[in-house]
Amino acid sequence: MKNLLRYIITRILLTIPMIFILLTLVFVILRIMPGDPVSAMLGAHAPEEVIEQKKEELGLNKPIIIQYINYMNKLLHFDLGESMIFKQKVIVPIREKLPATIELTFFGMFFTLLFGIFPGAYAASRRRKGRDFAIRIYANVVYCIPVYWMGLMLQLILGIWLGWFPIAGRVNARILVSTFERTGFYTLDTLLAGNLYAFGDVMLHLFLPSLTLGIVLSGIFVRLTRANMLDVLKSEYILSARARGIPERKIVYKHALKNAFIPVLTMLGLQFALLLAGAILTEMTFSWPGIGRLLMERIYLRDYPTIQGVIVVFALFVSIVSLIVDILYAMVDPRVKY
Amino acid sequence: MKYFFTVILALFLVTGFVFATGTKEGVKTLVYGTTEKVTDMDPASAYDFHTWEIFQNIYQGLLSYPPGKTNIVPGLAESYSANAKGDQFTFKLRKGVKFTDGTPFNAQAVKWTIDRVIALKGDPSWLVTDFVKSVDVVDDYTVRFNLKGPIAYFPALAATVPYFPENPNVYPKDKIVRNPSELKGGALVGLGPYKVVSFKRDEEVVLEANPDYYGEKPKIDRIVIRYFADATTMRLALEKGEIDLAYKTLNPSDIADLSKNSKFTTYKLSGPYIRYVCFETSESVFKNKILRQAFGALINRPEIMKKVFLNQNEPLYSMVPKGMIYHTDDFKNTLGDGNIALADKLLKEAGYSKEKPLTFDLWYTPSHYGDTEVDMAEVLKAQLEKSSMMKVTLKSAEWATYKQQWKAKQMAVYLLGWYPDYIDPDNYTAAFAGTSGSKGMGINFSDPKWDALFTKEQTNTDPAVRKAVFEKIQKMWTDEAPTVPIFQGNLYVFTRKDVGGVEIGPTLIFNYNALYFKK
Amino acid sequence: MTQKSRNIEASGYSSSERMGRIFGWLIKANKKYGAEWWILVFGAVIILFISYTAIFPGTLAPYSPLDQNTGPQLMAPGPGHPFGTDNLSRDILSRMIYGSRTILGVAFTAAILSSIIGIPLGLISGFLGGIFDRIFSLIMDSVYSFPGLILAIAFAAMLGPGVVNITLAVSVVYIPTYFRLVRGQTLTIKEELYVEAARAIGARRSVILGKYIFPNVIATVVVIFSLNIADAIMTEAALSYIGLGLPAGIPDWGMDLAMGKKYLPSGIWWMITFPGLMIMTLALGFTMLGEGLSEILNPRLLER
Repeated sequence: MKNLLRYIITRILLTIPMIFILLTLVFVILRIMPGDPVSAMLGAHAPEEVIEQKKEELGLNKPIIIQYINYMNKLLHFDLGESMIFKQKVIVPIREKLPATIELTFFGMFFTLLFGIFPGAYAASRRRKGRDFAIRIYANVVYCIPVYWMGLMLQLILGIWLGWFPIAGRVNARILVSTFERTGFYTLDTLLAGNLYAFGDVMLHLFLPSLTLGIVLSGIFVRLTRANMLDVLKSEYILSARARGIPERKIVYKHALKNAFIPVLTMLGLQFALLLAGAILTEMTFSWPGIGRLLMERIYLRDYPTIQGVIVVFALFVSIVSLIVDILYAMVDPRVKY
Repeated sequence: MKYFFTVILALFLVTGFVFATGTKEGVKTLVYGTTEKVTDMDPASAYDFHTWEIFQNIYQGLLSYPPGKTNIVPGLAESYSANAKGDQFTFKLRKGVKFTDGTPFNAQAVKWTIDRVIALKGDPSWLVTDFVKSVDVVDDYTVRFNLKGPIAYFPALAATVPYFPENPNVYPKDKIVRNPSELKGGALVGLGPYKVVSFKRDEEVVLEANPDYYGEKPKIDRIVIRYFADATTMRLALEKGEIDLAYKTLNPSDIADLSKNSKFTTYKLSGPYIRYVCFETSESVFKNKILRQAFGALINRPEIMKKVFLNQNEPLYSMVPKGMIYHTDDFKNTLGDGNIALADKLLKEAGYSKEKPLTFDLWYTPSHYGDTEVDMAEVLKAQLEKSSMMKVTLKSAEWATYKQQWKAKQMAVYLLGWYPDYIDPDNYTAAFAGTSGSKGMGINFSDPKWDALFTKEQTNTDPAVRKAVFEKIQKMWTDEAPTVPIFQGNLYVFTRKDVGGVEIGPTLIFNYNALYFKK
Repeated sequence: MTQKSRNIEASGYSSSERMGRIFGWLIKANKKYGAEWWILVFGAVIILFISYTAIFPGTLAPYSPLDQNTGPQLMAPGPGHPFGTDNLSRDILSRMIYGSRTILGVAFTAAILSSIIGIPLGLISGFLGGIFDRIFSLIMDSVYSFPGLILAIAFAAMLGPGVVNITLAVSVVYIPTYFRLVRGQTLTIKEELYVEAARAIGARRSVILGKYIFPNVIATVVVIFSLNIADAIMTEAALSYIGLGLPAGIPDWGMDLAMGKKYLPSGIWWMITFPGLMIMTLALGFTMLGEGLSEILNPRLLER
């Protein structure tokens, strides 16, 4: 237990330089970008002195190194600073938009596992047969599908032609968000508010974007599960289970899959970055008001602090997930040493 | 494990279908969809079309426009008068009007508001500071604006949002307000027919009838403004009946499809919105006016309208849009459309040939003017290259960069658009060719002869004199061509068949209190 | 180079003979490597075909990709326009053919750029070790663990649209991929007996790196290079799709896809279907080539 604790602390400490390096990179990139927030926000009529005054107000006229030190200093005090375009703390829009992204990635992950693990396990049990080959082709093809294209095609077929699912937004425009919103997780909020009609609507809106994300990322998991299952299926206890005459179905899906699942879970941590990148593109395609869209909007406006804030959040997100997965793995599998 | 999957899948399928099938209708509400964004909820700082529209419904100006009309009528002022020289305007205010918290509306409130706008130096403050020297409280219900000089169109200015009187007890004197929650009392209530009851940026704004409004009560109690991230989503929401009204801005293909749909009423507004090409006229290769003329001659407006905008907008042959006073069609008669012969002649005159073509970058900004901008740039390139003496490379930059580049004279030719600040030909001409306005737009055109004409037009109240001046300016425009007009934008409003009362005139002011549901 | 080609000419096979030999070799390889071999061949065929369209677009495309007068606007696939026309009545097939040029050029150049920077850094870092290695590994790991697309977005937004800029943005993201791989391999090979031996006889460091370590690393690099081009293709297309790629006037699949998006509710399926299909096919080609190569060159590399 003590070891585990030490491990967790080291891992947390290791994420700090990572965030630091990324931020430095992004900070430098942003400051040498052409265009600045002041000209983005002021109209064409703004006289020079107003522009200069605004720049001074925002600290943009100081040398970059001073701006950098100031920013890092604030960050050490867990302050992401204030938006340069809108008079508002950076954390405010992030907190508003983050739940939408988390909701999307959560349900996306669900579909990823659904379309990744079971076909992967099945393919392993049919090794080198036609169906194994078919599933492996599925995995390869699906990995190469651009996630936004998948989204557009699903929108076209299931949304426009068949009219089964809404293709954009989080909730029907007639349902007032202010009547149920609390945490920003609409699935949770609608249930808490006891509005089942709204809940159903929210789930419907979630379906296509999370399905898109899920299918596209499932390719990797097919491969992972298949490879792990192959190892497990060769192990002695499976052989002995077979010898005892336990039905093949049960062996594959109950005994083997349970053991193959753990390493797949660790990979989930590593693939999380990919999931987030996919989520941004999915948000763009489905008009999903998450932080991916926020990032894009603010890049156009050159709102430095908000862009940096979003990057920090992404980096934190990635490291926290991989940390959690590692800890889970360590707890599940006693052989792991820290 | 298995249960986890089953449960979530069941959640999707069962609840999704069961609960979403029956539509539950609550309070009779009008849902209004738009792709615009709200900026600062502060008349001293907001300077965009949509935020102004909200203010025009929750506030009231001293002067205003009746729904759908362009004539200025008294609003919170009962009457106004100007002195003989035209540099002093005195307003008599309506009596007995109170803000929701009981604060009386009077001359002090008007002065307080104007002083605040001047002090805060927000984006639209130039609409006040460029013209108004000071404001005097004559008595509780009389207020006098002392102007920096005679200004013929001051009543039009006084009807703009920065002049709207605010409640001195609610707005902070020295700070720009972004969200209604920052106001004292936390609610945005003005003197207009509606008030804001719920505000969620980029998602929804809920307006309800203001019980303290002195005028007629609006026919629709609640208006929900729904913000869409893109036109496609808004169009689908309208088709599915999720919204009752869609305004600004749909794509041409959506407009074409929706106007064929018998479930909706289409309103076409000929807007004062114009698009044009700008040239950097002081340093770039286009300082030679012959090249600007050649560029202008090659533009084929009807083709752009047909290909890119499915004929939903109108070709424009002057910087002053059609429908506005003093408009002429000079570009049509001089440079024409797709006039390759003339362009070739002009280019040859300037020393270019097939072997030595004029090569330049044509700049556009991909998202600020909507999805059609890329198409327009592509079509323009093809039209310009119809002359074998031009070689065009398209370049693009996002809005923030674009703005900085035109100020730094980094773009020789670039596409821009213009929504007027006030409805007067002056705002379409002096802003581009007057020395100071032109510098701000990156055109850097400067000619004392032109400046003299603008001063004459600005200070003269005689319509005959102004007409003569503007006709002369429009003629001169085809020769100097500091900018070349391309088209004039129409706006489209779509409503469900049961919505009536959409009255939006050339001012583009949209009064929600005229809306009603047909029974 | 010239010498080599002369040798082939001198060998004196007729073209049909040569074809027969190639075919025979393919069959033999199939016996030796099984299905993986066909994956490789399939990938290579896709790549060769699309490369051909990229190098000689004029021989295949019925129109110029910028020609706005090829027929009616938004015509569905049919005679004369097998992929239909877009909203400016350009021929979509021709745009696909010319567009392959852009995406292949960007992805290939980007992959070469990132390998040119990543491989030497990885070699040196792994070989030298110490504080230098630690710092570089930390930086590379940080960038690697972060969603690559988001970094590419930041770079592309900084540099603005343009072919060179987007190539740079894509290449920066993939430097850590090469660095990590090469560094890992170097660490293992460094401990091998023959390297120890070389060191013992006093070979110079640069000789050890160049002569003993680099040749052993390169086999895996080839595999990763192919897979990396597939990723670079996806990233380039994604950047173009969200409007950070190229200015108008250059045919580009990602941008065509984005342009088609607004016609989705009108049911104009051909404007989005074909660009997406092309991106997928090209990426698939490189993935399959990489997978096939890895099975043949290094069977354990991708098994995990």
